[in-house]
Amino acid sequence: MKISLNWIGEFVDLSGYSPEELMDLLTLHTTEVEGLAWFADEIQDVIVGEVISCIGHPDADKLSVTEVSFGGEGPVNVVCGAPNVRQGLKVAFAPLGASLPGGLKIKKAKLRGVQSIGMICSEKELELGDSHAGIMELPSDAPVGARLVDYLDLLDPVLEVDNKAINHRPDLWGHYGFAREFAAILKRDLAPISLFEDWPTDPSAVNVSVTEAEVCPFYSVTSFAVPVSSNSSPLAIQRRLLAVGQRPVGLVVDLTNYVLLETGQPTHAFDAKKVAGQQLHVRCAAAGESLITLDEEIRSLTPQDLVIADSSGPVALAGVMGGSGTQVDASTQEFLLEAASFSATQIRRTSHRFGLRSESSARFEKTLDVSLPVLAQARFAHLLLEHCPEAAITGAPVPVGDSTPEEIHLTMDVARVAERLGLSLSPEEMAQTLDRLGFPVTVQDGDLQVQVPSWRSSKDIRLPVDLEEEVGRLVGYDQIQPKPLTAPLEPTSLSQEQLLSRRLATCLVGSHCSYQTQGYSFLSSEALQKWGLSLEGYVPIQNPVHEGADLLRKDPLFSLCEQAVGNEREVSAGVLFEMGKGYSARMDSTGEPQERHWLGLVSWNLNTLGANHVKGSFRSLRGIMEDLLSRAGKNVALAEKTIPPLSPLGNPSRILTWTSGPQETPVAQIFQIHPALRSDFGFVSQDVSLLLLDLGLLSQALDAPFLFQAPARFPAIKVDVSLALPKAVTFAETEAALRQAAGKFLSNLVLFDQFEGEGLPAGFKSLAFRATLRSSDKTLSEKEEKKYLKAASRIAEELGGHLRS
Amino acid sequence: MKDRLEELRTEGLQALGAASSLSSLKASEVQLLGKKGALTTLLKGVGALPPEERPLIGQLANQVKKAFAEKVASVSTALKEAQIAAELDSAGFDSTLPSAPLTLGGAHPVQVITRELEDLFLSMGFRVADGPEVELEANNFDALNIPADHPARESHDTIWVQEAAGETPGLCMRTHTSPVQIRTLREAGAPLRVIAPGRVFRQETQDATHDHTFHQMEGLVVDRGVGVPQMLHAMNAMIEGVFGKHLKTRIRPGYFPFVEPGFELDAQCPFCEAGCSVCKGSRWIELIGCGLVHPKVLKKSGVDPDIYSGFAFGVGLSRLAMLRYGIRDVRWMLGGSISFLSQFSE
Ligand SMILES: [Zn+2]
Repeated sequence: MKISLNWIGEFVDLSGYSPEELMDLLTLHTTEVEGLAWFADEIQDVIVGEVISCIGHPDADKLSVTEVSFGGEGPVNVVCGAPNVRQGLKVAFAPLGASLPGGLKIKKAKLRGVQSIGMICSEKELELGDSHAGIMELPSDAPVGARLVDYLDLLDPVLEVDNKAINHRPDLWGHYGFAREFAAILKRDLAPISLFEDWPTDPSAVNVSVTEAEVCPFYSVTSFAVPVSSNSSPLAIQRRLLAVGQRPVGLVVDLTNYVLLETGQPTHAFDAKKVAGQQLHVRCAAAGESLITLDEEIRSLTPQDLVIADSSGPVALAGVMGGSGTQVDASTQEFLLEAASFSATQIRRTSHRFGLRSESSARFEKTLDVSLPVLAQARFAHLLLEHCPEAAITGAPVPVGDSTPEEIHLTMDVARVAERLGLSLSPEEMAQTLDRLGFPVTVQDGDLQVQVPSWRSSKDIRLPVDLEEEVGRLVGYDQIQPKPLTAPLEPTSLSQEQLLSRRLATCLVGSHCSYQTQGYSFLSSEALQKWGLSLEGYVPIQNPVHEGADLLRKDPLFSLCEQAVGNEREVSAGVLFEMGKGYSARMDSTGEPQERHWLGLVSWNLNTLGANHVKGSFRSLRGIMEDLLSRAGKNVALAEKTIPPLSPLGNPSRILTWTSGPQETPVAQIFQIHPALRSDFGFVSQDVSLLLLDLGLLSQALDAPFLFQAPARFPAIKVDVSLALPKAVTFAETEAALRQAAGKFLSNLVLFDQFEGEGLPAGFKSLAFRATLRSSDKTLSEKEEKKYLKAASRIAEELGGHLRS
Repeated sequence: MKDRLEELRTEGLQALGAASSLSSLKASEVQLLGKKGALTTLLKGVGALPPEERPLIGQLANQVKKAFAEKVASVSTALKEAQIAAELDSAGFDSTLPSAPLTLGGAHPVQVITRELEDLFLSMGFRVADGPEVELEANNFDALNIPADHPARESHDTIWVQEAAGETPGLCMRTHTSPVQIRTLREAGAPLRVIAPGRVFRQETQDATHDHTFHQMEGLVVDRGVGVPQMLHAMNAMIEGVFGKHLKTRIRPGYFPFVEPGFELDAQCPFCEAGCSVCKGSRWIELIGCGLVHPKVLKKSGVDPDIYSGFAFGVGLSRLAMLRYGIRDVRWMLGGSISFLSQFSE
């Protein structure tokens, strides 16, 4: 919303403060001002000129050649194309070198051979109106040589206030509300709004009725007459409207807009001749009724919409927009002015349903002061008679309903307020502060009895606590000294799950060259279907941000894969992980979708064992997972049976699962990406493996026992064996058999090489193990080494193979 | 025998003197003085000498042994000194050579800030709470004093999972971390100090400064005698923690339905003294929405507002990260680019 400081200045003396200072004061004490812009600052070079001669252009019918005097230097030649240019006219003149809105700069020009030095401006060129039918005509007493902005008092500092920030303050939706704030902030007087009081005795000739008093507690209509000639409003009105971005359209409508922008109360004028049956009825629309609104849209109405109707049907969408059929225009001679209170909820719903927001609906939505309509109609009458003395009030207002505001009295506990705000103020100081904002206050037994004025009682001040802000912001929050919290000293720590998440993230980043990322929670059902994946169990979104975000993810793997593909071009091998939520359509006990806290990870082209003939992200992930689980210190075990992938992205036959507890609940899994999906995602790499770990479940698993083992004092011996085995024999069974056969001196057994092909019989593979043998009480000899080799040879044969070396 | 010893002395001293390294010195020493060394071997013949010659030879042998030991000591010292001198000589050492390329991981900037803030608030006696991201409408709005038809609902641009209908409760993607206030307060009661970082969702068209998914952190303190001074102190500590230096702050009126009074807290722009593009020339940056907990919110969560009061605050973690690191486009945050992620560490 735009706030004109000149307009405010009609009610409060702002002298002594720069617009910038006023802007800061309002920001600190009332609401944030987002910007300051000067209205008319782009036409400061324009000067009042007089056309001292005017003849037709010798070579162009539509052009005139004029001489314009504008003070200072002598008159200059100006070619002008406006039909209304004539000798003796006072005009807005842009001399050589002047700047105009839009960056136009006046230069010497030749028009059809005639020199032109300067420009006579239209309202549109000066951004003072829409009219470009001709040049702007100034009154004959306009002083030649004066700056136009000075003569018309146009320069106006305009503040820009964020509408959202004043949603809770209905009183700030008009200039007078801001004037009240400035008066309180600057401790200066607030002038009253001039109102018309001398209403005729006879009521206006209109039949007013309200069926829906609940959503329209007050409705008032007043009749007026205006001469047809007085269609456009005077400059004093127009410049205010223009400064705050409201286009002038005609006297009556301009005045309703003026009243709205000044008081915050919308009013509406109906052309009395176009209202059928001399009646205005506030009622709900009947099914099947429709209305053409002022924007020329046909609106199909429902019984939920409140309308104003004459005897022929709806003529306005109550509080939102008038109908074009009863619109006031240049031919209007009599009109009916509506000033009413409508329920905020009613207006918001209708306005939303039609997607139709107007200055009027925006204000009614805020729950306006119910006493405002009476003030607004009196203000309108005052302005109309002031600016158009030929106008007449043809009847007194015809009110229906009650415009008495609810009286709210609050008791303020001064000591408590002082403690909460951290401001030591006496009851008297608090009372004075509230008084500046128009709250009648009395001090009783050290506490304040506060009456809430009507402009604050409709919505925002209902409880004693609501008064604290009024006191605090006016006294100034900068008076508050920070103080540390005090409380008994008690240890705090992160939860098990939070600690675990941190530890695993640190481990992945620090030890496994992984990058922690964040991905979106949303998925595309279209993509899932295209890839042949079931939509079962996904939570759908009712109003997705975009089409590709209509489901909630179950785990972070989808976005991880997308991000991995995005990185592949630059980074040939890598690991990305995310710790984030997955959502399931299964509801938990509170009726909310279950959420799981996942560690998800994607890796591509990771080498293992450092040897270039043993590759595979899958085996790398096993190592990473074992490290994670050991750092977690939880009792989890590799599952013996095959458990299906926890994510639909998994290849069901390239999978390894870890479980916890007697139920063998799967808590973590690694798998290769499904080969079909790998290409659907657009991976270049053939080697993509994924990891999922349920951080919630893992943190709940039992702690793994840990006991320190004293480092050995006697040296170990290392023995390498390479076994040629049939391909079907797994590493796990070979390793288990070797361990068992190795005897008590085996302290470590690792696979260091595996291959197939050259040097091996068909259908065979080679597994090479390095055993570490060690005793706690002696140095081992060749005897133990030979014993181990013999055992290994026996195992190889038992498994259907032989020892290679 | 005597001649042999004299000969050995000459040869030995020469060999020891010729040693070019400590290891060759050691080898020569062993060759002369070791168990199987030349001197030892030679002296094995002493038994065959006439008794009267033995003392003389013994004396000589000791002299030779001593001469060798002295030589070893002096050569060893000289060699050590030479080695130290050589290592202290800068010639031939290129200290500018790079290491082999390191493969490193990286943390997410929001995570970095979150951890720092968690640690800061833990040290001030707060705990860290988590809440669901799909939230009941009642917690996201109603319990926070934002009933249906409240204009504040509109500005939240909610992403809905399920509209309320009859017995079915409304569900939405939480639009702020504030519902965690309600959950924690109900569960733990007063007194309470808690922060709740997490992701939140709004209907936003994505551009350089907007995303529909971003991170916030909520904070709540409920206790006896808590007011604006305590809130200011905690907020100042947070800002100093994030930017690593003391920044002036100010509060001004702000509106959030679940606090009364409500404030916007601005910090002095950390990047300029006279206005810059970050603060849009104002020298202040808006950082935190905060206020004293509304008595209705306390009451709805089962806490007596006549006994307890408190403050609540909300801060944009994505925004803090962007400010601190100078990230100008929010879309990097959830983009997953390693060239972005590799720049941050804890
Ligand atoms: Zn700055």
